[in-house]
Amino acid sequence: MKTVVRARWKMTALLLLPAIFFLAASASAQSTSTPPPVSSVPLFREVVDETGRGVRIPQPVRRIVSLAPSLTETIYALGLQEYLVGDTDYCDYPPEAQKKTKVGGTTNPSIEEIVALKPDVVLVTAINRMETVRALEGLGISTYGTDPQTVNDILTSTEKLADVLGASEAGASLAAELRIRLADLQHHLEGVSPRRVLFVVWTEPLISIGKKTFISDALRRAGAVSIVESGQDWPQMSLEEVVHQQPEFLVFAASHAESAPNDFDAIATKPGWRSLEAVKNRHFIVISDAVNRPAPRIISAIEDLAHQLHPEAFAEKPQNLKDAPKKSDPLPLLDNATSFLIEPIAEPHIQIDQQECACVL
Amino acid sequence: MRPLTLRRLLIHCAILAAILFGVIVIALKMGAVPVSLYGLGRALVRMALGQASDLSSEYKLIIFDIRLPRIILGIFVGASLAVAGTSFQALLRNPLADPYVLGVSSGAAVGAIVALIIEPHLALSPAVAALFTPLGAFLGALLTIAAVYLLGRREGQIDSTTLLLAGVISASFLSAIIMFFMTTLKGGDTRGFAFWMMGDLSTPLQDSLHWVLRVGFFAAAGAIYTTAADLNLLLAGEKEAMHLGVDVRRIQLVVYIAASLLTGLAVSVSGAIGYIGLLVPHVMRLIFGSDHRLLLPTAAFGGAIAVVIADTLARTIFAPSELPVGAISAIAGAPLFIYLLRRKLT
Amino acid sequence: MSTAPRSAPISSRPPGDSARANNEVRLSVEQVSYAYSPNPSQAPLFTLEATSFQAHPGEIVAILGPNASGKSTLLKLIAGSLKPMSGRVLLEGFETHTLSPRTRAQRLAMVQQESPLLFPSRAWEFVLQGRHAYGRSLRFAGEDDVIIARNALAQVGAENLSDRWMDQISGGEKQRVILARALAQQPLLLLLDEPTLHLDIGAQVDLLDALRRLAAGNRYTVVVVTHELNLAAEYADQVALMQRGRCLRVGPPATVYQRELLEQVFQTPLTVELGSSGRPRVNVLAGSGS
Repeated sequence: MKTVVRARWKMTALLLLPAIFFLAASASAQSTSTPPPVSSVPLFREVVDETGRGVRIPQPVRRIVSLAPSLTETIYALGLQEYLVGDTDYCDYPPEAQKKTKVGGTTNPSIEEIVALKPDVVLVTAINRMETVRALEGLGISTYGTDPQTVNDILTSTEKLADVLGASEAGASLAAELRIRLADLQHHLEGVSPRRVLFVVWTEPLISIGKKTFISDALRRAGAVSIVESGQDWPQMSLEEVVHQQPEFLVFAASHAESAPNDFDAIATKPGWRSLEAVKNRHFIVISDAVNRPAPRIISAIEDLAHQLHPEAFAEKPQNLKDAPKKSDPLPLLDNATSFLIEPIAEPHIQIDQQECACVL
Repeated sequence: MRPLTLRRLLIHCAILAAILFGVIVIALKMGAVPVSLYGLGRALVRMALGQASDLSSEYKLIIFDIRLPRIILGIFVGASLAVAGTSFQALLRNPLADPYVLGVSSGAAVGAIVALIIEPHLALSPAVAALFTPLGAFLGALLTIAAVYLLGRREGQIDSTTLLLAGVISASFLSAIIMFFMTTLKGGDTRGFAFWMMGDLSTPLQDSLHWVLRVGFFAAAGAIYTTAADLNLLLAGEKEAMHLGVDVRRIQLVVYIAASLLTGLAVSVSGAIGYIGLLVPHVMRLIFGSDHRLLLPTAAFGGAIAVVIADTLARTIFAPSELPVGAISAIAGAPLFIYLLRRKLT
Repeated sequence: MSTAPRSAPISSRPPGDSARANNEVRLSVEQVSYAYSPNPSQAPLFTLEATSFQAHPGEIVAILGPNASGKSTLLKLIAGSLKPMSGRVLLEGFETHTLSPRTRAQRLAMVQQESPLLFPSRAWEFVLQGRHAYGRSLRFAGEDDVIIARNALAQVGAENLSDRWMDQISGGEKQRVILARALAQQPLLLLLDEPTLHLDIGAQVDLLDALRRLAAGNRYTVVVVTHELNLAAEYADQVALMQRGRCLRVGPPATVYQRELLEQVFQTPLTVELGSSGRPRVNVLAGSGS
């Protein structure tokens, strides 16, 4: 029996050894995780980001990583692109953004890559995961989050972001200019009754946007109202309900407007869709996918949509946005920024019944 | 006649431990940010000797604060899933059993999604908020374990067929609930949750959860291991095992609870990584035979090795993008499963 | 806790002689009854009425009867896996039902139809399972365990099967290995449930010869459930005749094998004569519808 007892002890001890080894190794691994300050400059600024978190941002900000396409666009709009050291695979606008170092997707960026870029601050927004933020904070990297819910929020968010990044003048100027354009739009649309539209995110299944989203707010600004009442962000609509509501127009956001007519034809033949008045009359509108991003460029998309929906309200203005004069630049820094905003994004495409047109005029 | 001896058991474990160590070193080297093997080796040696490392702080951060914890997480998750899978295959006397067949992972998913939904409405301190989802998942797992146990009894004790039925039904019921809840999630959460459901090791774990996982693994796997000899007999049939002296009722209860806890812990921290719990036991059985005294430890090592390899691939194939590790284990696992099936049939 | 391996003399005793002379009672079945109803409110589906008999070391008892006569239920009551509704089963003074599974496995061994093996093992591994009740924790087989297992295989004449895989041997060979596993438990009582069911005549005789040899040589008490009239008559020292949950008679074959009794129980015309070995022989008559 003694051999059995000794064997049992030997076994227990030997099985415990690897356990102890692993525990010790991982313990020592954890203990090196005192976050080292990322830059040697001791200056910090305490701000509160739009999710209510307190963030310490090293000053001055020289290295920015953006984890959302909208944030990348905003950085370019503010003229801060030389400080942008990394962005996501989806950051494709403006085209120069595609040349920046990529850190992965928006939901699954590589923490390692971000760390290797030694950013002063990482910018996140609603499409990023809380886990990513926590991971970065655990490693001592400041993460600033934006969360605009309306078009107005987008403007104030841009201003605040500019301030945090040390470019408050650029931010204020950009926001002011965008507000002027919005006010102008408002003026033109005064007294014009909004069109009832369905904003189509996806056709099969039919997904639209909820009324609490900034896209819905953008539609309102353009003189449209979404027929969707849901509080969800991306509600799946039943085709029956849509047919019942009979929206006047279907609105699509596309990065390439050329393929839109073909896509529309493909949809127009499907059962259910065929019963929509908007389909029968080919009342579909394509605007730039900028409307999907809470960034300054959304203003252009709003203007584009307004022009397509209510051409009569803009009759005295030049039809083609290309002819619009460039605004004067208050600061040299904004050269890149303003020209970026006025580029046309999509060819206006709309066919309206001649009769209807005559009535309005 | 060559019955299993302690010596043979330890030798096999030592070999597998050495393989695991090699895999760890390779995994440490690979990643979105390349690190030289030489620099790595030097840093490890210096760490072992207690000296300060001479790697730049970013590399040190990457290796020791990002990669190493992730690798260790993968080890414990893989070992837990493999041991749980082996146990369920023995308990249910079914080679198709995996850790999720009794609904534990679905219950954990429901717990996680409920936590995701209610978290914004509660004012939680950041420390608690970080733990909220894993805790919700674990609570969901516990409730499912209890429910399936109560449903799976016949005449007061566990009956393997009834248990299997109860588990499968619970799993599909809970999956339907998950689908329902997913429609109410906000956009970013949906994506994050989909990631979690496929199995995801990229989220660094709070230290406290790391400890819970490790201690839980050794406790539960240790409890199962004490029944290893009984499991061998249980495979012959419950009645036969009883007549050979196995306290079937006690063994079933211990193994059910311990294996379910292992699954619940693993799923709570990393989502449902597939195929590990199903295939690793079969592969180890092919190599080492079906004696559970050898099979359980080798399966633990095998699961650890498999998950570390899968996770390393997940974070390097499309670098800097990351795939969920469950995708890799599924892509590799399905063909391997077919191969094993054919082998068994010929 | 492990006991010394028993020696395995192959001695045979003259047939029909049960050598009870200086034996104490080993197995005492005292008025055990049982009722099984799936639903507490329903009437019981099956009942076993009070049954009693006693058995001694070295004895073979056959529980004989047609299907659904309660044979298997009685065997399970003896094995302790069912709790008697009334009465008790005593093995060397201990109620089998109240023993812990471990102790019970050291005292009695069951040989029954096996469920198919999920992950087949080799014969020696299989037989070593019989030592489970004597081991501790991980139960790494010790030297004595190996010797006992080898002995058990030898006693059933299956040493040559030692390295073969269980799913690759014939039914008869498998039955012998299963018996060897039971022997490895070093029990006092051997219980067998229809062991001859899937065996051909030759294998059946081999098995029962082995049982008789082992019972005599190792002083086992053997209880066999069967419906084979002639085999029971040939090998059993006592026969308990069952019909529909009632034990009609218990005793040596000569007293139980009465023509009218057997015809009533088995519902078929037959004749009983004295066989060449001194035991009753039953001839079943082809039904002529008279």
